[in-house]
Amino acid sequence: MKRIFPAFLLSLISMGIFAQDDLMNIVDQSSPKDINLTTATFKSTRIMNGHSIERMPPGQLDVRISHRFGTINSGGYNFFGLDVTNIHLSLEYGIFNWLMIGVGRGEYEKTFDGFAKFSILRQSTGARVMPVSVSVVTSIALKTIKFPDQTRTNYYTSRLAYVTQILIARKISQGISVQLTPSYVHRNLVATELDPNDIFAMGAGARLKLSKRVSLNGEYYYIANPKTYLSQKVYNPLSVGFDIETGGHVFQLFFTNSIGMIEKAFIGETTGSWSNGDIRFGFNISRVFTLKKHNKPSNY
Amino acid sequence: MKRLFISLATITIFLFFFVSCYYDNEEALYPTLSTACDTTLVTFSGTIVPILTNNCYSCHSNANATFGGGIHLQAIADVITNSPRVVAAINQTGQFPMPPGGKLTNCSIVQFGIWVRNGMPNN
Repeated sequence: MKRIFPAFLLSLISMGIFAQDDLMNIVDQSSPKDINLTTATFKSTRIMNGHSIERMPPGQLDVRISHRFGTINSGGYNFFGLDVTNIHLSLEYGIFNWLMIGVGRGEYEKTFDGFAKFSILRQSTGARVMPVSVSVVTSIALKTIKFPDQTRTNYYTSRLAYVTQILIARKISQGISVQLTPSYVHRNLVATELDPNDIFAMGAGARLKLSKRVSLNGEYYYIANPKTYLSQKVYNPLSVGFDIETGGHVFQLFFTNSIGMIEKAFIGETTGSWSNGDIRFGFNISRVFTLKKHNKPSNY
Repeated sequence: MKRLFISLATITIFLFFFVSCYYDNEEALYPTLSTACDTTLVTFSGTIVPILTNNCYSCHSNANATFGGGIHLQAIADVITNSPRVVAAINQTGQFPMPPGGKLTNCSIVQFGIWVRNGMPNN
């Protein structure tokens, strides 16, 4: 007993020394408590035609003017399409950190549209690792152009179209971001029995940052529905262009084959083809106004 | 919890619009009867002018022809001059498919073609 007890005490001390080594190791490591949320995956709330994962911070209003010119193959007399215009105006507002709504009105078919964008997941590193950001966009479009045939019974519901999209985006590096956008478009009234009321499409968008203020964007929507036997020849919308950010404005300049600027119009109603030269120059101008100041730093 | 409640409330409000979700197409909704499209008696004043009034004059009348690229379609002389362009536009084969909001009914397109083929008389 006399020998065992001191030996036991010695063993306790040696165990204590091991514990101190472990504590020192823990202090040396960086604290894993911080979650680093990824910001600025794209420069604006649109990639070009379609939505990007970005949303308005709460209290900020985005005034957007979108413009599409005519097709380049309309020749020099029409100044290669610059004589024909199509405009879409919209106001987009961030209500909460995770919810953004917008209303707009476009010249194409005199359409009013509204949407809500919910942020579900944010890409993050650090304590919680999330590889992608995920948002859901849901929108309604109302055509207000007069029906061509006034002698038949025209229904109000024939003017409506609904769109739901899931946006999945990842900022791969400071300069490269990609986004996948599975989309569902429903049109209440279509021209013939063979035209689909439901359109399923997969969108893909990417951004390559060229400098602090300029980025190169590309966007393509692949329409999964068969394109044969439709009432008009429909192509997949493809857009390529630049984002230029200056202070409070973001200018998006690009070439695209679709005249529509809302999802219902450019998914499934794009009748221009890049190979035919039905390429339009278009631009979006976005100006952000702060309506309500918030103490929390913005996550835009 | 608050976020979940607001999301559900907003989605429910949107769903009220989705209730009017239809699967319509014009062929089934408006089946054309064989007597509906008169292809024998096609006159400028009786057939062509109503088509132009209902679909074209918002941009192509004499008053606001700037919207329509300077193309007038009100006087018969202007329609005759522009008829090749009109035919290409309403058949959606040219560079400017017309009307921009949606194609004319097949009956209207056929009637215009018949009037042109008859020599575009002023009747």
